[in-house]
Amino acid sequence: MINKALLTRVLEKALSTGADFAEVYVEHTKENNIAMIDSKVDSITDQLISGVGMRIFQGTRCVTASCTSLEESDLLACAGRLADALDGVPVNRTLHLQERLFGDIHPIRVVPGDSSLKTKTDLLKEGYFAAKNYHQDISQVRANLLDVDHQILIANSDGLFAQDRQIRTRMVVNAFASKGGEKQSGSCSPGRRMGLELFDMISPKSIGEKAARQALTMLSAGYIQAGKMPVAIESGFGGVIFHEACGHSLEASSVAPGQSQFCGKLGQQIANPKLTALDDGTIPNAWGSMNIDDEGTPAQRKVLIENGILKSYMVDKLNGRRMGMESTGSSRRQSYLFDPTSRMTNTFIANGPDRNEDIISSIEYGLYAKAMGGGSVNPVTGAFNFSVNEGYIIRNGKICEPVRGASLIGKGSEILMDIDMIGTNLETAQGMCGASSGSIPTEVGQPLIRVASITVGGR
Amino acid sequence: MIYTEFKELVMAAAASRGLTEYELYAEEKENISAETLNHEISAFSSGNVTGACFRCVYQGKLGYASTELYTPSEAERVVAAAMENAASLETEGEAFIHEPGDTYTKIESGTVTEPTASGLTELAMQIEEAAYAADPKIVDGSQSGVDFHRNRIYLSNSRGLDLAHENAYTAAYSSPIAREGEEMFSGFYSKLGDFAQLDSQEIARKGVEDAVSQIGARTVSTGTYDVMFSNHMTAALLRVYSNIFSAEAAQKGMSLLAGKEGEAVAATCVTLTDDPFCEDSLVKIPFDGEGVATRRKDVVKEGRLVTLLYNLAAAHKAGVASTGNGVKAGYAAPVSIQPYNFYLEKGGGGTTEEMYERLGDGIYITELNGMHAGANPVTGDFSLASAGFLIEKGKKTGPAKNFTVSGNFYQLLKDIALVGDDWELRPPMWGSACFGGPSFIVRGMSIGGK
Repeated sequence: MINKALLTRVLEKALSTGADFAEVYVEHTKENNIAMIDSKVDSITDQLISGVGMRIFQGTRCVTASCTSLEESDLLACAGRLADALDGVPVNRTLHLQERLFGDIHPIRVVPGDSSLKTKTDLLKEGYFAAKNYHQDISQVRANLLDVDHQILIANSDGLFAQDRQIRTRMVVNAFASKGGEKQSGSCSPGRRMGLELFDMISPKSIGEKAARQALTMLSAGYIQAGKMPVAIESGFGGVIFHEACGHSLEASSVAPGQSQFCGKLGQQIANPKLTALDDGTIPNAWGSMNIDDEGTPAQRKVLIENGILKSYMVDKLNGRRMGMESTGSSRRQSYLFDPTSRMTNTFIANGPDRNEDIISSIEYGLYAKAMGGGSVNPVTGAFNFSVNEGYIIRNGKICEPVRGASLIGKGSEILMDIDMIGTNLETAQGMCGASSGSIPTEVGQPLIRVASITVGGR
Repeated sequence: MIYTEFKELVMAAAASRGLTEYELYAEEKENISAETLNHEISAFSSGNVTGACFRCVYQGKLGYASTELYTPSEAERVVAAAMENAASLETEGEAFIHEPGDTYTKIESGTVTEPTASGLTELAMQIEEAAYAADPKIVDGSQSGVDFHRNRIYLSNSRGLDLAHENAYTAAYSSPIAREGEEMFSGFYSKLGDFAQLDSQEIARKGVEDAVSQIGARTVSTGTYDVMFSNHMTAALLRVYSNIFSAEAAQKGMSLLAGKEGEAVAATCVTLTDDPFCEDSLVKIPFDGEGVATRRKDVVKEGRLVTLLYNLAAAHKAGVASTGNGVKAGYAAPVSIQPYNFYLEKGGGGTTEEMYERLGDGIYITELNGMHAGANPVTGDFSLASAGFLIEKGKKTGPAKNFTVSGNFYQLLKDIALVGDDWELRPPMWGSACFGGPSFIVRGMSIGGK
């Protein structure tokens, strides 16, 4: 994308006022998004994102700049803007960029950019009409097929020169069921860090049907009554509870500035002894995986919590300097326009010791959260919330009628202790996670778990 | 290559392929920002980005393609890709390239003070120090920041429309952390304005007030309460539910306001206005993403739905004129429908304190979290993690946290009992729209707590 000689000149310019580290991130991303609504292909957007993000560090101070133009004069001007923010003298050193090849553990069989629009719209229509024709009460369906071909190049003053190409594909189906002036929605949105071969693994038909089924179930559901109760949270997207309640607070971006409830807690018991949780960016073709992070550090598999003991944070280079720790390959950014920071990749609670049927039968009255929506957290206070898209009442150890409108709220440090039963059916699900470095693909996961007591919002 | 050169290449490529109706829309964004941490500037950044989106009518349908790379080969590619994309669409009769002839409101640009890098970092440090000084409970981890933005939009089409608009503003914020014992409390306050007018003391004081006022918060008991939503929460609710006023959403069965124009959809104390020229806003714009002139309109007047918001395609389908709300959420996005400065009008209920008295006993909600997940913009259902204050005998007493408030937005509009006069317009959070209003009271809402 940009040759080594020019990258070297840009880095030297950036270092010219006393920075002790400089980095250039070059991006060339093609995004294609096909949307259907009203049973028609309604819009197709086709975008090329191209630009450069640069950073310099002086100790723990960071200066960043970005520009869209790849022309030499603009790149040097951008590096000059960085350098202008400091007023020291350059450290005497020779810069030699040495290419490193980290390999690619995410094979892509069908690169979406090389497939015809017809191939893609046919796949989308299969998912769309599987939802639309599922039942007469399905009044509307909205569906998207997204594919992204994200090429990055990272060069820094330590001599690193590394590249990666990250291709991902996702289908999103939202189904709406209507009856008697009421409307409820259901959704299904699997994605992988792979090409269109995703749909050999997960058929578009199954995606559409799942979305429609959820909308129909919720159409016949009553509202849950608010209160504090035990909750069984199903595998897959249920893992969003760990992502929100704990994951964000273990990111160095919260820990380094002292904005996390888990500061200084390494080696301490922060969760129930049954709980082990990981962040693993190395799972082949998983939605949140990568070969290298956005600072060029290879992705890692990290045990965050082992048997309830806090073992590791997720660390990027800048916050690593603040914490005296090495990067864990956790630095991520949406694009060159965002400053990278520590983020999650594929984060999940490992299988536990409890049988799934025992978890349900242990609850006299409570909520079974079969499908979760999104949520959010304030890492400072640990206060989190998330919504239940498909819930059922548990009565006398049995799953009973569906309920709508439930949300779960609590405090991260408390819920980690209250996760007191962990099942054996680990599954993962995909989402887009938004934070200061933008919206990035992350995967969540867990087996069925029981939370002994949590506040359920409803009416 | 600069934009004007790229534009010429694209327009020439479009003409040479025999296209007769097409448009190029571009954005240029400049920003500089500074952030503090622990009494120091921890980050300083500057950006200079641009991107262009080509649209054309081909086979009666509207194709899009966009790029950030201004090169001759990209000029050819966007035209070819937009044609190919158009050919794959199935929505005929919805393709419009707007003609010249609208009367565009002239916007007084006002004073724009462009901060220097050192001016920007100084203001950020002043807010930071003022936050520490405001209360001894403020601890490290507190941050402040200042961002300056300048955005330019260009829209040119084959019918001869050639429009440009620029706006610039500075945003400053304080996000302090207060500590009491082992517990931490985070506060936040942000303000948009001209750089020279931003008051570091006021921003820091309001951020610190937000953090410190939560100390000692208790959970409330599950039950039914009379609730007063703060003016900031009025803005937050309108932001997440504004799409129900989109005619496109209504036509596609995604809004329960479909077919309700002219009917009562809210309590008579509710008037909702969309004003692209709102005096209190720094984000004013004379034309929309299709080049249609924007205008002020009441969307709901004294409880009656006056009009939905329209772009050209939705207006054509309904047989009405566009309301000038065809908005692109970013240069590459398709034209959708959004308001500009959308707010609830004052309702005569008085100041915030007078509203407490009108509430009597209940909960004053000042925080709603997880809106993207806990509020369904299609069904109107919401169940949201909340925080605020108890109101007892008309007075604000202790802080309350860790409870949920649930309901349905369509019903909430009808149940609003009283609207206050403590009106405020909030800065944009995502996209470019601003939302605002005064506080309001709803009787008998469902609260989940301990």
